[in-house]
Amino acid sequence: MLTLERISVQLKGFPILRGVSLEAPSGRITGLVGRNGAGKTTTLRAIVGLVPVQSGTVRFADQDLTALAAYQRASLGIGYMPEDRRLIGPLTVEENLLLPAWAMNLPGASERLRWIYRLMPEVQELAGRRVAQLSGGQQKLVALARAVMVGSRLLLLDEPFEGLAPALAFRMGEILQALRSEGIGVLLAESDLRRVSALAEQIYTIERGEVMPGSAFNGGLE
Amino acid sequence: METLVIILIDGLVYASWLFLIAVGLTLIYGVLRILNLAHGSLYALGAYAAASLVIRYFDRGLWPPGSYFLMLGAAVAVGLLAGPFIERGLLRRIYNRDPVYQLLATYSLFLILEDFIKLVWGVNPYFAYKPAWLLGQVWLGGIPYPAYSVLLIGVALLAGGGLWFFIRRTRTGRLVVAMIYDPEISMALGVNVPRLSLLTFTLGAILAALGGAFTAPTLSVAPGISVEVIVLAFAVVVIGGLGSPEGSAIGALLVGLVRALMVHQRPELELFAIYLVMALVLLIRPQGLFAREEVRRV
Repeated sequence: MLTLERISVQLKGFPILRGVSLEAPSGRITGLVGRNGAGKTTTLRAIVGLVPVQSGTVRFADQDLTALAAYQRASLGIGYMPEDRRLIGPLTVEENLLLPAWAMNLPGASERLRWIYRLMPEVQELAGRRVAQLSGGQQKLVALARAVMVGSRLLLLDEPFEGLAPALAFRMGEILQALRSEGIGVLLAESDLRRVSALAEQIYTIERGEVMPGSAFNGGLE
Repeated sequence: METLVIILIDGLVYASWLFLIAVGLTLIYGVLRILNLAHGSLYALGAYAAASLVIRYFDRGLWPPGSYFLMLGAAVAVGLLAGPFIERGLLRRIYNRDPVYQLLATYSLFLILEDFIKLVWGVNPYFAYKPAWLLGQVWLGGIPYPAYSVLLIGVALLAGGGLWFFIRRTRTGRLVVAMIYDPEISMALGVNVPRLSLLTFTLGAILAALGGAFTAPTLSVAPGISVEVIVLAFAVVVIGGLGSPEGSAIGALLVGLVRALMVHQRPELELFAIYLVMALVLLIRPQGLFAREEVRRV
């Protein structure tokens, strides 16, 4: 379970997040919905450790994440998929997937890779390719697969559906449901409420750096 | 024809020397995002350590070929001592600071190391020519050429080959590539940045010291040698693209050949020509010859 309690983030003196609180339990998909610039990406980056949190707490598995560097947070099993994918260009797809395993000396990396390939056979087909040879949609899937490599317990996904053709978006939804059934918690940032409402157990709405009071409502279970 | 051969070999020798310094500079920039103005001082430390040890070694009348291993050992020792000391003691504290602040800090470090060298080794030059003199001459295309200079090319090739293997074939090397390409996402994926920074800086320090140690027998090791090398090494890394090891190899070749050509034909234009090449490269490709490949954004 991931718990954010009243976290505030300022970037270059401007308040970006103002007391954001939310919970993302394991084995559940939690949506974070808001327009561009509302603070979705900053919320995820604050959890990952890429922006400093001024006040409030970020707790995951009984640990205070704010005390840990980004790379230490990853080793707790938190995977992050940025909106712009951020694959490593000079590496092959498979090397991109193995990167976290190499970085953290993960035991059982090759079994996990095989498991990911079973879950996403379309990624296995791309294994030997360079990132520059992939379409935008393929890159999204590879970025998700890489996040899953790290995120054995929690996935932070920033607009995973954005720019995907309908068939691929449907496939993305299927994969997320499969991951949920493995007990992985998913926090899904999305600008389109309709996309998440079918998937998420709970949805928070964020606006101008604040989670709207009473915005947490059941999506998929309605 | 003979001049051409000489220019070519001279150019390769210069390039080898430059490559050893520049590749460390560019790797350190790539991983740590700090332009290390004191990199030339690591070269100088390697040269001084090797020169003073080699002189003592020959004074004792020990087995002459052993001096090459001594130079190698001196370079590795300098890198292993100075690298972690500088990275942990200074650079680690300024990773997230403004680049201007970082430049000032490494410039201060350069000044401190210059004085440290004078304090330890004094201001008189060291002539440790014997390892070079031992090898005599080889005949290349009918021209006698110092065999030691050819050895320098071999050292650079070995170091470059080893580095290539490290970057391409080892897991840590792949992490270095990822870190150079995208530090932020690398951290988020669990790359232990402090450890990788320490390792990269130490590796760069060893390479620079290696360059210094093996050049020592060919020059008088005196105060100021770090300035000469850093001025050229910067041209090399800017031409090759900051953060690109392949770029530093190509940049070193280019600068080395241009320098050799000028030294033989128009010595007064030596530095001018090198910086003209740099300016031309920057005009056409401001990011350097080997900038990172762009990923399609759809």
